[in-house]
Amino acid sequence: MKKLLAILLSFTVLAAACSSDSDDSSDATAAPDDTSDAGDASPIEIEMWIAFNDDARLNYTKERAAEFNEKHPDYEVVVTPFDSYNTVFEQTTLAIDDGNPPEVIHFFEAATQDALDAIDANGDPIFKSVTAAAAGRSEILGEPVVLDDVVSAATNYYTIDGSLFSMPWNTSSTTMFSNMDILAAAGIDEPPTTWAGVEEACDAIAALPDAPDNCISWPNHGWFFEQALGQAGVDLANNDNGRSARATEVALNSDAAIDYVQWWSDLEDSGDYVYTGTQRDWAGSSAAFNSQNVAMLVFSSSDTTVITDDGAENGFDVRTSFMPYNQERDYVGNLIGGATLWMTNGLDEASEDGALAFMNFFSNPENAALWHKTTGYIPITNEATALLETEGWFAESPNSAVASEQLNAAANTPASTGALLGNFVAIRDVVTAAIEDILVNDVDVTERMNSAQDEAQSLLDDYNELFG
Amino acid sequence: MGIVISLVIASAIGVISFGHETKRDVALGAALGVLGASVILAALGFCTFASDAESTEGVLGVAVGATFAWIFGAGTRAVFSQKSADLGSGDIRTGTFKLAGYWPWLLLSPTLLVLIFFLYLPAYRTFTLSTKLTRLGTPRVGERCLSNFSELLITSPSVLVMLPLTAVGIIWGVGLWHRRSEPGSWAHDFTRIIRPFGIVLFVFAIYFIFENENGGYRQIYFNTVIISSSIVIISMVLGLALAYLTFGNVRGITAYRTLLIWPYAISPPVAGILFFMMFNATGGIFAAVADNWFGFDFPNYAQNATLARGIVILASVWKLLGYNLLFFLAGLQTVPREQIEAAAIDGANAFQRFRKIVVPALGPIAFFLLITNLTFSFFDVYGTIDFLTKGAPAGATSVSIYEIIRVGVDNGDLGRGAAQSVVLFLAVIALTAWQFKQSEGRISYGSA
Repeated sequence: MKKLLAILLSFTVLAAACSSDSDDSSDATAAPDDTSDAGDASPIEIEMWIAFNDDARLNYTKERAAEFNEKHPDYEVVVTPFDSYNTVFEQTTLAIDDGNPPEVIHFFEAATQDALDAIDANGDPIFKSVTAAAAGRSEILGEPVVLDDVVSAATNYYTIDGSLFSMPWNTSSTTMFSNMDILAAAGIDEPPTTWAGVEEACDAIAALPDAPDNCISWPNHGWFFEQALGQAGVDLANNDNGRSARATEVALNSDAAIDYVQWWSDLEDSGDYVYTGTQRDWAGSSAAFNSQNVAMLVFSSSDTTVITDDGAENGFDVRTSFMPYNQERDYVGNLIGGATLWMTNGLDEASEDGALAFMNFFSNPENAALWHKTTGYIPITNEATALLETEGWFAESPNSAVASEQLNAAANTPASTGALLGNFVAIRDVVTAAIEDILVNDVDVTERMNSAQDEAQSLLDDYNELFG
Repeated sequence: MGIVISLVIASAIGVISFGHETKRDVALGAALGVLGASVILAALGFCTFASDAESTEGVLGVAVGATFAWIFGAGTRAVFSQKSADLGSGDIRTGTFKLAGYWPWLLLSPTLLVLIFFLYLPAYRTFTLSTKLTRLGTPRVGERCLSNFSELLITSPSVLVMLPLTAVGIIWGVGLWHRRSEPGSWAHDFTRIIRPFGIVLFVFAIYFIFENENGGYRQIYFNTVIISSSIVIISMVLGLALAYLTFGNVRGITAYRTLLIWPYAISPPVAGILFFMMFNATGGIFAAVADNWFGFDFPNYAQNATLARGIVILASVWKLLGYNLLFFLAGLQTVPREQIEAAAIDGANAFQRFRKIVVPALGPIAFFLLITNLTFSFFDVYGTIDFLTKGAPAGATSVSIYEIIRVGVDNGDLGRGAAQSVVLFLAVIALTAWQFKQSEGRISYGSA
């Protein structure tokens, strides 16, 4: 019955998210009242397009925007939700050609190269570097600039030509969530840290009289594949993962890559891993964990708070740990995932300052800490981390500290920083499709990854033909 | 070399499609064929026969040239015969406009403008995009000639040419045999029975011309044929059956009808969500019932290709059923009661009355439904699939329209997306033309 409830609930959320588009107009009409004493000039509108349309994250963003608007009567930040990063990007590109682009857009890590390369009809870049626009100021419109304080894992990933190009916002890593009640019943005290450890734990769990349907699950998403490469210290693309020069070759069939997919496939064959059957099925995988159909879940740390709370609600203890790695290779480091806020190019000075001030306000220590607590995305600045420590948050909820710890434990190499790659979104899809083929149709791992490699390489070649 | 072959074929096609009663006709037909082929090949910059073009592109170039030769030939013939019919017929006389010649065009202009800006220009843009490599916000555009199309096809040009031609040859041969054989002979009956299977043969031949390697288009084609034809056949048969059942006088018939028509008001994505909630294995209603009450594991449709296709078909049929029912109910009311009564008095049983009177009377409506259902099953299933399976498992429910959006929108590859929409466009055109040809003379719209 719990499962049924969970699914009904997730659809209520979905339905609410769908209807939230219509809420915008009412919010927009309600907000400007505060600005009536600001003089006769109407406030400068800062449009922010985000890719979150679920209630929790959208409302969080709208609340921060309202606070900013109250503090800065000359400005009005208007938040518009879209259903995906791709839609935001596509709509932005079209809006730029129409001459009425949003000021701030929310875009994800894998498409960083695409965003950097995109140009408008006049041939100008679509986005402008936030560091360049901040021009060394320590505060903008009274909001302290936090760009320099961003944690190193995010700074490393998003640094282009020596400085942050976009403002990091939601940043996470892949962590493992364990149902400690099941693990304890199987005589395991600590969540496993290596592949061998996972297999051992799964054997013990399978031997339980009331064993769950399967031992472990995680969504079929290219990001996990990239994480495994980072752990093994193997680049996904040439030219130092595209960091020293534009990447021209991609490598989906390196030994480390094959090892990971083979392990994944073996784990599925033995019945320990369960595939929900759908690509990028975040909801399905976490539902399997919440309903105790699996004992372990490798997931994005973005949902740490929700998963931990849901576990408590369903009566089991959740512990978060590092993503398991291949014990036969030296561990190098896990990488980040998530998205940043990009500022569109060609804004007038007042809009640009407003956009910059809002972005820095949005990630100031208090807001960054609140965002972390609400979701599980890592605290994005060092000051926010310090604030949370003083508050005693990490002692109170140790699960929330794991993602940051994992990222801090990573060596600073191109492999563990993550690839900068054109057409990365489509290349990820090639990886996901190949892995699905392997899991569902039991095709040969090496052969399938070789053909995925050819496909991905031709996507990259196409991209570089257009942009290189 | 390629150009010469293409033009020779084009002139032959031109002659065939234009007609060859006199020497003048033959010359004109050949000229039209060559003109048609040259126009389109010149528009492509003769790239299909360039030295760096693949041989499959050359085959496509010849095919495109032949198609345009046929359009030019048959089109001109249609215009000519229209003109001569106007002049020749005695009983219908064309009137003369009392207004200036531009008046009709002026009155038509709102419609024409809408058509041009919302239909023809986008269609033209799709055609031009399909020969390019491009994305949103690019500094350059890559020329791709027909390789966006040829990469969907097998690499062997000879098989590519032979398969569809063989299928067409067999269909044509059977038709010829049927016409030449004595009515009443076994050959006549045999060919009459196997003739309708020509389309199956052709669909099968097309299946083999698509690329089969990983990510090849053959699977997409297979999914589209299976899912679309199942949706259309099941929803039409079931719609007619339910309409027949709810047509009679049963107590509370209005309530039944209203309830049956209800699902039509639900949009395809919502239908997808509803069926997901019912059939999802990790928490759907049926899974919970099966698990808690009967204690068996509900199969996960997302891991089984057949089940996944079945669930997409089920959801779409459920959604379409109300629509078909509505039209069949309206159609049934037009079936003359006298004919049915007369047949009943003559001793025809219920099935015979249904088969010989009701079904033919429903012909025009069934034909209309066939076209609308096909359009639905080709284009509107996207929403259902996206919420139900997202093309899973391993692409088993990824139909043509789903793949177009995945490639063109999600991956941002506008050229390949456009090429696939052209393929879908051609398929729908071909199917509609085939249906019109099949139904010619068979469907009676009532006596004139």
